[in-house]
Amino acid sequence: MAGGPSTEQLLGLYADMLRVRFFEEKIDKELFPAGLIRGLTHLYIGQEATGVGVIRALEPRDYVLTTHRGHGHCLLRGSPPARIFAEILGRRDGLCRGKGGSMHLCDTATHFIGANPIVGADIPIGAGLALACKYLENGRIVAAFFGEGAMNTGAFHEASNLASLWRLPLFMICENNRYAISVSLERSSAVTKLDERAICYDIWHEEVDGMRVREVFEAARRAAEVCRTHQQPVLLVCNTYRFAGHYSKDTLRYRPAEEAIEMFREHDPIHLAERELADSCEVPMDDLVALRERIRREIDEAAEMALRSEPPPEEWALEDVYAPEA
Amino acid sequence: MPPKPEPGMREVAYALAVRTALTEEMRRDERVFVMGEDIAVYGGVYGATRGLLHEFGEKRVRDTPISEAAIAGMAAGAALGGLRPVAEIMYCDFLSIALDAIANNAAKLRYMSGGQLALPLVIRTSAGGHGYAAQHSQSLEAWVAHIPGLKVLTPGTCADARGLLKSAIRDPNPVVVIEHKALYETRGLMPAEERLEPLGVARVARAGDAVTLVSWSAMAGVCLEAAEELAREGIEVEVIDLRTLLPLDIETVLASVRKTGRLVVAHEAVQYGGFGGEVVAQLAERAWGHLKAPPLRVGSRFAPIPFAEPLESYVLAGKHDIMEAVRGVL
Repeated sequence: MAGGPSTEQLLGLYADMLRVRFFEEKIDKELFPAGLIRGLTHLYIGQEATGVGVIRALEPRDYVLTTHRGHGHCLLRGSPPARIFAEILGRRDGLCRGKGGSMHLCDTATHFIGANPIVGADIPIGAGLALACKYLENGRIVAAFFGEGAMNTGAFHEASNLASLWRLPLFMICENNRYAISVSLERSSAVTKLDERAICYDIWHEEVDGMRVREVFEAARRAAEVCRTHQQPVLLVCNTYRFAGHYSKDTLRYRPAEEAIEMFREHDPIHLAERELADSCEVPMDDLVALRERIRREIDEAAEMALRSEPPPEEWALEDVYAPEA
Repeated sequence: MPPKPEPGMREVAYALAVRTALTEEMRRDERVFVMGEDIAVYGGVYGATRGLLHEFGEKRVRDTPISEAAIAGMAAGAALGGLRPVAEIMYCDFLSIALDAIANNAAKLRYMSGGQLALPLVIRTSAGGHGYAAQHSQSLEAWVAHIPGLKVLTPGTCADARGLLKSAIRDPNPVVVIEHKALYETRGLMPAEERLEPLGVARVARAGDAVTLVSWSAMAGVCLEAAEELAREGIEVEVIDLRTLLPLDIETVLASVRKTGRLVVAHEAVQYGGFGGEVVAQLAERAWGHLKAPPLRVGSRFAPIPFAEPLESYVLAGKHDIMEAVRGVL
């Protein structure tokens, strides 16, 4: 553990992962089956270590962008969980006044510039934000999360080239969960060693076991340091897995059930952290159980608060189309 | 023939009018910067950004690789980060490559965030047939004018090329400015003094009482030529240059049609599904009782723009089509 996070820090990372897991489980097991959520929701269950490890390595002033699978990132940046639930439920107290929903969460108070469900779109937007940071010399960096599917878009290629050419402080995080909806990495990508794609853009890169939060956190700290200090883009590939389907109605017919079971049994990031806390750090099991219960209660209360929020009034529909002239 | 300079006016090429707007706004506001293909060292394929690199340096005048998706996406990101980007997409035909960033992102991020975000950015591009064949000649204003969240400007004069662009740069929203490539080298008048032109205000370019003729971009100039010829036949046409399609000043058109009772809308874009249909529909909905004849549209024929001159001339709408339509509503 030398140089890595202390027990206290690991406990913090563990608590963050639980917060995300319980948030998503609330949707998966209660709100969605009850018919309270319309449209699509994409759950982050299984990928918690990547979001937690990376976001905890950032500074509060930094910008974060992500994909349609963005509840966790939004929560980790510090938005009140009740307001995220309210947005996903389409209520007036939602972060975006009920206009964005699950796939378009945004909170400028935490510099969470948002979830973006056009695969790959957040990478050039992130590069543009990074250009602004460099131009204004404000010391911020921009963390843009995307899945391995996004690496096959033209947006990734164009933005990587430009970010490197112009030496922009863009922290690219590829969350490789192995499936772009239903198509596996092997069936979609000629080069499956994803971090090596950075070589052709002359971009600093690293690959990490995305199921081990401590390793992600340490790698993300290194990456953020390079990005901020040297004003250059970095690519961190986190190899992870989503235990749930791509979205709430996914039949999962494209992957063997045993694969998910095996991944959950052997590589669940929360279980791995828990084992380390209990075995290596000797944190009493009772403390961990108490922590779990406390976080579960927080999430339950947030969901209840969100459910008390009313739907937005019709007249909001035509507001916010344009910014008013100064 | 360019009009004679009047007091307080200055004769310039359209490209210089664009460059004047960029220069003035970059001097005024440090956050304004320009990016695009061949705009810095080369000065833009039509010279609209010539000299900017020398005055403002590489930080604010940025040549990009041929990456339209990233140019537009990064402009959106830079706007989110507090800058005022003016990005150039060389031909509006290439909007197809940049359209996700423009139509799905720049136009919608403010709305989807419930008003938290603002995207003050300008996309400059060029339209119009000029001997470049099917992929460098289209007039695609209807593509972007269909998207809530965007503003769409189509300057057809030097005064507007400068004044509307200046307003676009100061606007807190994403604005697509569609210039016309046949105009860049033409000369016209712009105010000697700095002047902003308001968005959503049409201009009555020529007064008349027989027919209302609505147009924008270079076609507004063609309409004026047609009107002069028709005047020799005793037909006094009122020519309205919309100048901006989004926001649209339909009131000026309504007022004119209430007077003339006859309407022709002319544009260079393909007539089928063109923005002229929107103008005619709004007039039909709101001024039906004033119309003495069915309104007519003039637009290009339903084909990609061909290369050879006689073919291009045949496909593109022009002065004679306009004159025929005006006679047709009388």
